[in-house]
Amino acid sequence: MIRRFYVHNFRCLENFELPIARQSSVLLIGDNGSGKSTVRESIKILQMIARGENKVDNLVKPKDFAGGRKEVPIRFEIEVELGEKIYEYIVAFELPSGNKELSVTQERLTCEGLPIYSRNRVPKTWLKPYGVQNADPTFAIDWHLVALPLVLEKSPDDPLLIFRQWLSRALVLNPIPDVIYGDADSETLQPSSSLVELGDWFSGILSLVPAAYASMATYLKQVMPDFREIRKIVNDRGERMLEVRFAVEKATVSIPFKDLSDGEKSFIICALVLAANDAYGPLLCFWDEPDKFLALPEVGHFIIALRKCFNQGGQFIATSHNPEAIRRFSPENTLLLHRKSHLEPTIVRRLEDLEINGDLVNALIRGAVEP
Amino acid sequence: MSVSKYVDHLLVLPEDDANTKVLNGFVLHDTINSRLVHVLPEAGGWRHVLDEFEEIHVKELRIYPRRRMLLLIDFDEKENRRQEAEARIPTDVQQRVFLIGTWSEPEKLKTALGRSLEEIGRALAEDCYCNTTTTWSHPLLQHNTGELTRLREQVHPFLFN
Repeated sequence: MIRRFYVHNFRCLENFELPIARQSSVLLIGDNGSGKSTVRESIKILQMIARGENKVDNLVKPKDFAGGRKEVPIRFEIEVELGEKIYEYIVAFELPSGNKELSVTQERLTCEGLPIYSRNRVPKTWLKPYGVQNADPTFAIDWHLVALPLVLEKSPDDPLLIFRQWLSRALVLNPIPDVIYGDADSETLQPSSSLVELGDWFSGILSLVPAAYASMATYLKQVMPDFREIRKIVNDRGERMLEVRFAVEKATVSIPFKDLSDGEKSFIICALVLAANDAYGPLLCFWDEPDKFLALPEVGHFIIALRKCFNQGGQFIATSHNPEAIRRFSPENTLLLHRKSHLEPTIVRRLEDLEINGDLVNALIRGAVEP
Repeated sequence: MSVSKYVDHLLVLPEDDANTKVLNGFVLHDTINSRLVHVLPEAGGWRHVLDEFEEIHVKELRIYPRRRMLLLIDFDEKENRRQEAEARIPTDVQQRVFLIGTWSEPEKLKTALGRSLEEIGRALAEDCYCNTTTTWSHPLLQHNTGELTRLREQVHPFLFN
């Protein structure tokens, strides 16, 4: 679970700290352009690093400096509790004078306050691995590369591996149902935000924990009572695809995943998120507008199902503009993001710290919720 | 293809946002079959709860015999509130309608218990599941005892996993 998430000088986030410690589920609300998606992008950058993207230029660009302020480094800091141990990862990027690409200026990973490795550009400290803090520099890594994906773990219980695996498996979701066809030719536990590889993720979960299918099917049967099974078939071109079978009494129909409605695809995504958190969690899941494609009667149930699952482990962060979704959270787990203009940074406040005049949804419609 | 109105379910009409938060905690309890609880947008006051109930829900209760309806109101420390509210529930649906709420208002319960409204909702669900009255016996809630017993008898078989 995240204890602290801090971002500085990245787009609209300046000296920004997301207050989500000890919350198993959190809702981010705010106007369009208030910074909710930038929070998602920040988490995604750290996830991409853990997944192996080490080239700084593929993570941040000069245009990402808040207000074009290139003299101040872009900084990401995350502190998480995993298996009763506290991990802290810090990475900061700068644009050296005359350069077109950003490079690392500071990077550090600690576990329980002890450094696993650290590197600083000024004063220059090459990568120092855990346990040899006083030794001479041992690695010289190009400053245009992030070290986290490059440092090798020493054993399966190496804190480095535990942290990197947790972060790499984080789900940062902004699904686009139209582009999810359900191709299932390989396996992954690291789906992209768009979930274009949903079929591979389905296979990855079941390959790791075959029993996870039962929890997927149970959920899908609740939301689509005529659901019978989801399975992989081989099409005419020899490609493996997902297909969903529905039945009413003895009549059945099988529908290729790509032909399901956007809402039905959302149900299957939810089933996979729930199963994944059970199978290889606890996971961090950031889902941008999970209610986007759902029919009104489903929104509340959908949100409660996710909140319930993550209440047992992991952390769920959602954004929403939907009144039904907003009602399924409370002031202590709802955060308001606000920006006065495009020239000012995002401010974040817990709803419980704000005075709301009357009903929250009504106040949001009136534009009467401000920090 | 959504939720069936033809299976046992509980429709809840809360008076205000505070009651909705208690309900959120209730349905977040692990043992609750939350898909069978449908929480409506808050009515905006106890009188509005009863107005909406009379105008919309009585008719639907007659159409859907497997529906139970919980009206979640604040009693504002008024001795006659229950009587006044019950008088507006037609006898033919009375058995499936329940009136429950805080003796004053949920915020006072929150202060008294030192817990968030969601936490209180979870504790109430825990009591229901375990057949205990740890939280329900609080002075601000104990006036619900009779109604709670009636509600439990009807919804426990389908509401809890």
